[in-house]
Amino acid sequence: MMHEALEFDPTSTNLIDKAERDGVETIWDRKDAMKAPCGFGEKGVCCKNCAMGPCRISPVAGKGAQLGLCGATADTIVARNFARSVAGGTAAHSDHARDIAHVLLMASENGNYKVRDVEKLMRIAAEWGLDTEGKDPYDLAHELAERALLEFGKPFGKQIFLSRAPEQRQKIWQELNIEPRAIDREVTTLMHSTHIGCASDPESILEMAMRTSLADGWGGSMIGTEFSDILYGVPTARGTEANLGVIEEKMVNILLHGHDPSLSEMIVLAAEDPELVKLAKELGAEGINLVGMCCTGNEVTMRHGVRIAGNFYQQELAVITGAMEAVIVDVQCIFPALARLSQCYHTKFISTSPKAKIEGSTYIEFNEEHALETAKQIVREAILNYKNRDQAKVLIPQTKNKAVVGYSVETIIKHLDKVVNSQTDSFNTVKPLVDVIWAGVLRGAAGVVGCNNPKVKHDKSHVTIIKELIKNDIIVVVTGCAAQAAAKAGLLTMEAKELCGRGLREVCERVGIPPVLHMGSCVDISRILDLVSRVAKMKGLDLSDLPVVGVAPEWMSEKAMAIGTYVVTSGIDAFLGVTPHVTGSARFTDMLTNGLEEKVGAKFFFEEDPEACAEKIIARIEEKRAKLGI
Amino acid sequence: MNLFNIIYAGTDQYLERAEEMVKKAVAAKGAEAPVRLPGTAYALPVIYAVTGEKITTVGELEKALDLAKGFIHKGRLLQDALDAGTASAMLAEIIEAVKYTLEEEPYKAPLQGHLTDAQIRAFGVPLVTQDIPGVAVLIGKCRDSATAGKIIKEYQELGLLTFMVGGIIDQAIAEGVKMGIDLRVIPLGYEIESVIHVVSVAIRASLIFGAVAPGDFAAHKKYTKERVKAFVNVFDDWDEKIIAAGAAAIELGFPAVTETYINEVPTLLLHQPDNDKVIATSLEARDIKIKVVKIDVPVGVSSAFEGERIRKGDMYAEFGGTRTKAWELVQMKALAEVEDHKIELVGPDLDAADTVPYRLPFAMVVNVAGKNMQADFEPVLERRLHYFLNYTEGVMHVGQRNIVWLRIGKEAFAKGLRLKHLGEVVYAKMKAEFNNVVDKCEVLIYTDAGKVEELEKELALPRYAARDERLASLVDENVDTFYSCTLCQSFAPAHVCIVTPERLGLCGAVSWLDAKATKELDPTGACQPVPKEGLEDEHKGIWSEVSKVVEKASQGAVNRVSLYSILEDPMTSCGCFECICGIVPEANGVLIVNREYGEITPVGMTFGELASMTGGGVQTPGFMGHGRHFIASRKFLRAEGGIARIVWMPKELKEDVRERLDATAKELYGIENFTDMICDETIATDAEGLLAYLSAKGHPALQMDPLM
Repeated sequence: MMHEALEFDPTSTNLIDKAERDGVETIWDRKDAMKAPCGFGEKGVCCKNCAMGPCRISPVAGKGAQLGLCGATADTIVARNFARSVAGGTAAHSDHARDIAHVLLMASENGNYKVRDVEKLMRIAAEWGLDTEGKDPYDLAHELAERALLEFGKPFGKQIFLSRAPEQRQKIWQELNIEPRAIDREVTTLMHSTHIGCASDPESILEMAMRTSLADGWGGSMIGTEFSDILYGVPTARGTEANLGVIEEKMVNILLHGHDPSLSEMIVLAAEDPELVKLAKELGAEGINLVGMCCTGNEVTMRHGVRIAGNFYQQELAVITGAMEAVIVDVQCIFPALARLSQCYHTKFISTSPKAKIEGSTYIEFNEEHALETAKQIVREAILNYKNRDQAKVLIPQTKNKAVVGYSVETIIKHLDKVVNSQTDSFNTVKPLVDVIWAGVLRGAAGVVGCNNPKVKHDKSHVTIIKELIKNDIIVVVTGCAAQAAAKAGLLTMEAKELCGRGLREVCERVGIPPVLHMGSCVDISRILDLVSRVAKMKGLDLSDLPVVGVAPEWMSEKAMAIGTYVVTSGIDAFLGVTPHVTGSARFTDMLTNGLEEKVGAKFFFEEDPEACAEKIIARIEEKRAKLGI
Repeated sequence: MNLFNIIYAGTDQYLERAEEMVKKAVAAKGAEAPVRLPGTAYALPVIYAVTGEKITTVGELEKALDLAKGFIHKGRLLQDALDAGTASAMLAEIIEAVKYTLEEEPYKAPLQGHLTDAQIRAFGVPLVTQDIPGVAVLIGKCRDSATAGKIIKEYQELGLLTFMVGGIIDQAIAEGVKMGIDLRVIPLGYEIESVIHVVSVAIRASLIFGAVAPGDFAAHKKYTKERVKAFVNVFDDWDEKIIAAGAAAIELGFPAVTETYINEVPTLLLHQPDNDKVIATSLEARDIKIKVVKIDVPVGVSSAFEGERIRKGDMYAEFGGTRTKAWELVQMKALAEVEDHKIELVGPDLDAADTVPYRLPFAMVVNVAGKNMQADFEPVLERRLHYFLNYTEGVMHVGQRNIVWLRIGKEAFAKGLRLKHLGEVVYAKMKAEFNNVVDKCEVLIYTDAGKVEELEKELALPRYAARDERLASLVDENVDTFYSCTLCQSFAPAHVCIVTPERLGLCGAVSWLDAKATKELDPTGACQPVPKEGLEDEHKGIWSEVSKVVEKASQGAVNRVSLYSILEDPMTSCGCFECICGIVPEANGVLIVNREYGEITPVGMTFGELASMTGGGVQTPGFMGHGRHFIASRKFLRAEGGIARIVWMPKELKEDVRERLDATAKELYGIENFTDMICDETIATDAEGLLAYLSAKGHPALQMDPLM
């Protein structure tokens, strides 16, 4: 029987059937067990910020409790819950970035971690006002890393990367007093303000949440992205494959799952180690097959072409194939359920981060000081586990699709250079992109990002919206699990130009890019901010003037909440395909979906029907174009 | 600026005018009156290619309007805007067709207006050899004539085919630009609608050389985008109609460069306010790379000047013709015997003139040496002298060997052209074009009467005689290798010629020796040896190896070829053939029409109409394109009985081939003066008249086995 949430994915359906045969439980079983979600939680009107509660406000006006014990209204409670999600998301992205900055601080010529892109190091250092003249790259890297670490806790000043935004946008932030200061401070302040007995004004809470979210987008995420590039190289366009079919029957399969490239980069190195490859062969395997999932999958695919096993909802399915020797995880988006699931197969579930110790996992702490050594130890565990695979339990779906990944801003510009006429324009700008948008060849651009969520049919919203947009000459950039959905659907290929309108097809052919550009992991949404800022600045406009949108069709995490908020606060509309837990307050909902526009020139749209969502996106893009007179 | 709305506004203007014009035509001529652009077998070619509909009467123009309107749907996506461009092109063609319907000669010299199929076919060879590296379409008016003149002349010197629309034409005239179809600078007309005549050229290239089916617009667009290296320059302010026409150009893959600001679309629509950079911008946009051979002479040197004529009044000096002795010779020498880049003049130079025109004897001896040079290549190189000298601005060259006739214009002399410069041109071109075989080259020019006379006897005549002997022995039976030639595949992707000693390429430009030399010059290039192996039928000229090569080179389109038959698996045609041969069933024979002959033939079709039956690399039994030289071959139509089947040719062609044709007829059938038995247009252009003449002359075809 076709699984309801998987209607779009027959590959995974086969594995669900297998799970049933194997007697193991998956997210969908747990969803069934959960039955209907809590109605109060769903509407965001449950407050458990203090022990007087939990308090819950009646969803019906004038009937039942209208105030919490402290007198908090539904508006306050919804706003506080929303804000705390944003704080959680910002904390996650930023803590990831902090780790990257630490790694840069310890990078050395002969160490495991090196500066792979000195040019980018110089560029960022100069952007941050460091004196680069005649400096040893490593001295400079360490200086820059220290400066980055200060971004998390500096007592004075605002986030350095804010200056990348168009001046108009910076002014709006300044006037609203939402320029983020130190990242940790914003998270802390927001947690403080949403504590019992602090802020109750939903407007003020939202503004603080917006400021915190900016500390993510223009702070933590941007540092995470840029510093990863310095350490591991700027991603460049390269081919890969995606979906569970990349798991190999005759190889040692290792799944990398999580977010931080510092671990995955080392695992990539370890998996290429001749001795370990030899060991794998000695044990009867044809080699080591490293595959990725979620954002760490994105990090290694765009720098090394490591193949993508799938996205968020497929993490259990990868284990259920029975062919996974090890699942190596660090932080974020990892089901605790993987521990129990792995025990039903031979799979070693190895957690590595002290920030994400998972009960029931094999814990091998990843220590950056001995990074490669630890990575080799982890890979060795996987190889040694190959002999325990039960062939009777193996079912690897044959489905996979080709994809081209790795479109960093730098790589996109390099591709745009191909269509620059040296007699009329200069190289190394986004002008070709600006030109085609202004001419109407492209109607606009959409960043389709985010997770999977069993509330909607997996990947269906992603793929439906993307297809509809490219058909209407709207170029799409993707990150995170949305990017992997696109990869699996074959949308990250040159051939996908055939699904596009004439304008986008022409751009794909001439520039030599697929119509859907893989820009990386979820922290890499900062790349999208960078790209659209360059477009706005070239035209002397604000971000809110541009016919561009952000879309999170299947989001689920707090990180996505933070992202949505910083996208809107940056002046870009955010279309959410899953309604956030705010509908318990008509006022707060209206602020998000209406009121914000007046303040920051953009707002949230909630639309769960992907076709209708695409229609709204197109209409909004055309509205922006009309305003620009183009 | 909303680019698409500009296009839509332009399309509306074309529509309004086209509707008016059609009304006018119906009122003036009636619905039954024919609508016809001169000299084309493709009705209104753009509409025909886009929709597959042939519009032939005034009444049908109404349908044409509807067809165009079908492309107007003013949406918000690029395809909508490009469709409006296509509609604009169709509407412009309707407007132009009405002009040709209402007036006998809507475009008077120097305006060109519509180009005939034959004129387009004549561009075939230079286009495929990239002798014409691109097509420039200049629209509007430059800020001053001097600028216009400079730009046009530069395009001309680069060898581009340049079309002009609008006020720039008058500017070109004011600047004394040498123009006309032979000089590759073609003023189309003053109104923007006349730009359709160059669009029509591109579209017909696709119909003629590409054999793309009418109505398969997607395939036409692919053809023009990939193979026709055209682009548009718009000077001064653009208007909506120009931009709508630009959309049509872009839809066909042709970028446009505007002088006045427009929202740019990279690679397709560019803004270049600096007139000095418009050429470089355009060439880069269309990816046209020009191999520039800078030659240090005071006049331009470009293939575009090939067709330049020097009239009596403009003539400063003249050599040969009937007045003085003149000859030329390329000879191979040992490497040690040639001093590279030696240019020597023996005798008086042009300065010594006492009267104008100055008449002198003339001899040019070009000594070449090279490790890969072969004596067989001498005539190949020597034939190029005609082109190299003609490429020189202000120099006209006619004939070859010792029937050379050379004129030098007053303007060229005034610019400082002297005889040693001719040596420089020949030297530079020889080294550039034949770099693989010519390591050293020297040019010796003689104007001293005694020397010219003496060297002709001692040097030239014996060499010519030796070559003739070699050529006479060069028959298909005496060689073991033929050559395939796929030079045309850039334009006719499925066509391949098999070049044999007796059957030169159908364009007339590639003989067996040329092919052999081409192979030497570019070992992996367009001409490849074909072993004459796997004989299946010697009489019909079928070798399995030949068929195999054809199958491979035509990408499987054609898998069997008879070299000497028109009915059984005849060789395919690209579209730029010199002559078309088609059967005349009533006369049990064939007629041959050369490209230059534009009138009707006894089969009721013109050259263009006959030509449209074949071409594009498709085998069409009963029709065959070929070179003039092939007509007198013993292998011509051998499977069907040979040249005795020829019943009709235009008079000019008859005279051209008479001597050799008579000789072959004598040898094959013992018939004297066979050419006189062949009918021509001065005798009859209808089947009845033809048959009457053949009967009266006792033409052998009437007694032969039935052809069909």
